[in-house]
Amino acid sequence: MTQNQRHEIETLIAQTALGNQNAFSKLYDATSGKLLAVCMRVLSERAAAEDAVQEVYVKVWKNAGRYQVTGHSPMTWLITIARNTSIDRLRSRRSDDDIADHSERIASPELSPEQSAIAASESKRIMGCMDELKPDRRAAISGAYLDGKSYKDLSEQFAVPLNTMRTWLRRDLAALRECMTR
Amino acid sequence: MTSVLSSDERGALAAEYALGLLTGDHLAYARQRAASDPEFAQSVTDWEIRFAALTDDLTDETPSPAVKKALQAEVFPKTARQPFFQRLWVWQAGAALSLSVLVAVLALDFGTPDQTTGPLYIAEIAADAGDFRVVAVVDKSTDEIFLTRTQGAAPEGRILQVWAHGESGPTVSVGLWPDGESIRLPLPETIAAVGGILTIGVSEEPPGGSSTGLPSGRVFGTVDIPGVSGQL
Repeated sequence: MTQNQRHEIETLIAQTALGNQNAFSKLYDATSGKLLAVCMRVLSERAAAEDAVQEVYVKVWKNAGRYQVTGHSPMTWLITIARNTSIDRLRSRRSDDDIADHSERIASPELSPEQSAIAASESKRIMGCMDELKPDRRAAISGAYLDGKSYKDLSEQFAVPLNTMRTWLRRDLAALRECMTR
Repeated sequence: MTSVLSSDERGALAAEYALGLLTGDHLAYARQRAASDPEFAQSVTDWEIRFAALTDDLTDETPSPAVKKALQAEVFPKTARQPFFQRLWVWQAGAALSLSVLVAVLALDFGTPDQTTGPLYIAEIAADAGDFRVVAVVDKSTDEIFLTRTQGAAPEGRILQVWAHGESGPTVSVGLWPDGESIRLPLPETIAAVGGILTIGVSEEPPGGSSTGLPSGRVFGTVDIPGVSGQL
């Protein structure tokens, strides 16, 4: 994403926060393709993903005013809402635990996305750093992020006790962070 | 606030929270920290930004048009702030509207009219389907029409076009409305000359407007303004 596109989407989010329906419509047009792709990756079915996309943009409409305090870049903010909404829907049959909810999040100490601790270059490095992990551990992290797998699911998948799974994954996440900040 | 977690513990817990792996007490604890510890909240955001890059390889998918329609129907009637002219409409509907207030309002939004001696007429164009509304103000002091969308818009790749006619006269194009929530258009001579019932309509058309001289796309609705006159 170019700096201009990023600026345009930020402007649209800001106008949406002021209740500008036209800006919200443009924001939808500019970003719904990506967010539907994210929802489809998690939910597999197009119909379910389109329902999720609708819920995602209702949240965007209601929470646009909170975007600036999250410390996200505009697309990662939207992608995170899409991913979390999809995972919640995927899990809704077995649990009522909503995952990381922005509305309950305190403002980050560094408010503007420009000051975010994560540089764009660092976030791009995750693919390379994932490759440094053992293949099955890599599958565990991406299974949690993109398939909404729980520790229980993962421990069954890899046939290890749940606590072992958690120890492994926490170690891998630490290695991932170390690699990305290297 | 100083975090009670070490940097490593905070990082691991934040990553698990961002992934949605936590349950029970761990989840409750992380949620409480996210709401009260700015450093932990930042750490969760940082992980969300990192993980979001896992979706970089996904190919965009275009949602069906029905998704946007359903979204707008869900979001706008309930949560949209009432635009200025919609509130204006409510006053007018309630009782006699102070002309001086309205003139002041118009001056605020559109610049000072050249003169303030002509009447103003307010009307609302609303689609029967409930998905489109426009408030129109005809200013006879300048023979202009101001329109503001309060709900709905032209479909993707289309624009709005404004039409008008007198009681017996032909329908003429008042002008194109390619973008934006509001527009100010001068009335064509034949429309400025209309006395009695003035009918205003809005349709959606291809970019550049209808090529037929009449609405070629969906007409969202029309409204009749009775008793139009150039004199106060």
